Amino acid sequence: MKTTFNTQTIELNPSNDGYVATLDGKNIFIKIIRAENGKMELLIDDQRVVAYVSSDLAKRWVTIDGETIMLTKTSGAKQGVRHDHAGGLIAPMPGQVRSVNVKSGDDVKKGQTLLTMEAMKMEIKIQALMDGKIKSVLAAQGDTVEREQILIEMEN
Amino acid sequence: MFNKILIANRGEIAIRIMRACKELGIKTVAVYSDADANSQHVQFADEAFHLGDSAPKESYLNIDKLISAAMQTKSDAIHPGYGFLSENASFASAVDSAHLTFIGPSADSIRAMGDKAQSKILMKKAGVPTVPGFEGLESEKDFSKAAKEIGYPVLVKASAGGGGKGMRVVNEESELSEAIQAAKREALNSFGDERLLIEKYIANGHHIEIQVFGDKHGNLIHLFERECSVQRRHQKIIEESPSILLTPELRNKMGEAAVKAAKAVNYFNAGTIEFIFDPQHSTFYFLEMNTRLQVEHPVTELVTGIDLAQWQIRIAAGEKFPFTQTDFMQRGHAIECRIYAEDPSNGFLPSTGKLLQFIEPHAPGIRVDAGFAKGDEVTHFYDPLLAKLIVYAENRQSAIQKMQHALKDFIVHGVVTNIDYMQAVLAHEDFANGKISTRWVDTIMESNGLSFDMHKQSSALQIISAALADFVFVNQSQSVNQNETDPFSPWKKINNFRN
Repeated sequence: MKTTFNTQTIELNPSNDGYVATLDGKNIFIKIIRAENGKMELLIDDQRVVAYVSSDLAKRWVTIDGETIMLTKTSGAKQGVRHDHAGGLIAPMPGQVRSVNVKSGDDVKKGQTLLTMEAMKMEIKIQALMDGKIKSVLAAQGDTVEREQILIEMEN
Repeated sequence: MFNKILIANRGEIAIRIMRACKELGIKTVAVYSDADANSQHVQFADEAFHLGDSAPKESYLNIDKLISAAMQTKSDAIHPGYGFLSENASFASAVDSAHLTFIGPSADSIRAMGDKAQSKILMKKAGVPTVPGFEGLESEKDFSKAAKEIGYPVLVKASAGGGGKGMRVVNEESELSEAIQAAKREALNSFGDERLLIEKYIANGHHIEIQVFGDKHGNLIHLFERECSVQRRHQKIIEESPSILLTPELRNKMGEAAVKAAKAVNYFNAGTIEFIFDPQHSTFYFLEMNTRLQVEHPVTELVTGIDLAQWQIRIAAGEKFPFTQTDFMQRGHAIECRIYAEDPSNGFLPSTGKLLQFIEPHAPGIRVDAGFAKGDEVTHFYDPLLAKLIVYAENRQSAIQKMQHALKDFIVHGVVTNIDYMQAVLAHEDFANGKISTRWVDTIMESNGLSFDMHKQSSALQIISAALADFVFVNQSQSVNQNETDPFSPWKKINNFRN
């Protein structure tokens, strides 16, 4: 996936055990050691990097080694991820569907886990955002899905 | 001792004072404006009282509302903090008239030191060295004559002034008339009083101030100096104690002069005598007295071990100050950096917004007095001070190193801060050598010796991290509060690592 910050374009793709970034024609290998609350501990080409990143619409605040910079995302995927695409639940990132817990016509409660997927060695639960009925299930166990692909459609 | 204290202030200083109250077993009342309804000082207090509109004159500067708040909450004392009404003699009088205790000096002391020209005359009488100059002049002819006698360069400044407003440096006679007009205009706008005084301009002057402290029983001592010469737009950003410019003899002399100055106005409670120090001649002159607790008081607390905020309260309640001058010594070295939401690359203009990230450093010898936390909004209504970062170490060199690391670990996103700027100042050889005068920041900025740009060329690591974060923290792309408003968002669960 290609993204441009200020004037620099970076392509980032998941690889076997992490990510490959392509920047200025060079490939850089990244592993995520830990990531929470806006703090990431990374191995970038085997160099340990601690990065703090916050987002506000197109703005990105990045602090590495005490130096803070503000970047503006000028192109790439849409800002943020739509939780709800005309009643549809979408994949937050590329990955594989591990389990589908509901079928078409099921009544579900807000917060109920409808589907789990795996991406970047993490388990992601796709939960109902409201009480309602499952209109259709568009993914099956084992499917490889793309970022923003619709997984489940719901109706009130 | 008091049962309940109302803190007529906001931000970090309100929290600092509330801490002292709590440690002394005293209940606390916070006051707040519309903009501060959810702020940290409100959450920290035992109770909170809404004053009104966000504009300071409808809230933190409104004497009637504050007195009424204290009565309604059955508070028995008011602590003014710094800024706002802390040096307003009418406020101190109003507090007294309402049969409440003002935690600070008497209204008379505040009044006597509040007027620059008046206080200078008082100090001359008391035998405190003052900058050669004249007060009470009116015609331009008189100013011109005075300037010649003093010798250029001279400084014209507002009698009622402070904070660098209504102040002009005049290098030669041809500039004098225009400078007087400009200073008068500014003085009238800022203080409603166009009277000016004229004095010798001390080039490369350092700002060195002495903390004094006294009780209502006539005991008064000093607590050594703070070097506060790193200033931008006449406001301090880095303070330290001790100053590397002072010898033990000079320190004693300045301490004695400060005590003399404070005694001349029958001072009690915490106060600060500001001196301008001429490093060329090792001479010092009285500048003004701040009749309140200073922003930079933690520096003194760390090197002397005294809790100034607690003692302010105890003194106000009538306790005797049990220490004498010889009980105190400066031990080690303390430095304070004021973390401001401001943009050094844009004339230090305040920066507003929501704090997307706010992580304070933690390590031995580090103190953080903060008024904000992650998720808080920094508004344009008030001073953009986010926090004070203070370090303590055995000597100056170690303290500087400690500060450099502490600044690295202070993460603020959402508003531009001066953190990178202070790193550059600390790393500069002029800072290491104690050669920073009060004009240093402005001079260096003008000559572009230090340039700062938040939009500077980005490194590969920064770009990679930003791109990666879009994958990893998908949930944060709208706002930091999304988790709270939508507890069932699937994106919230994204960090559940399996290994």
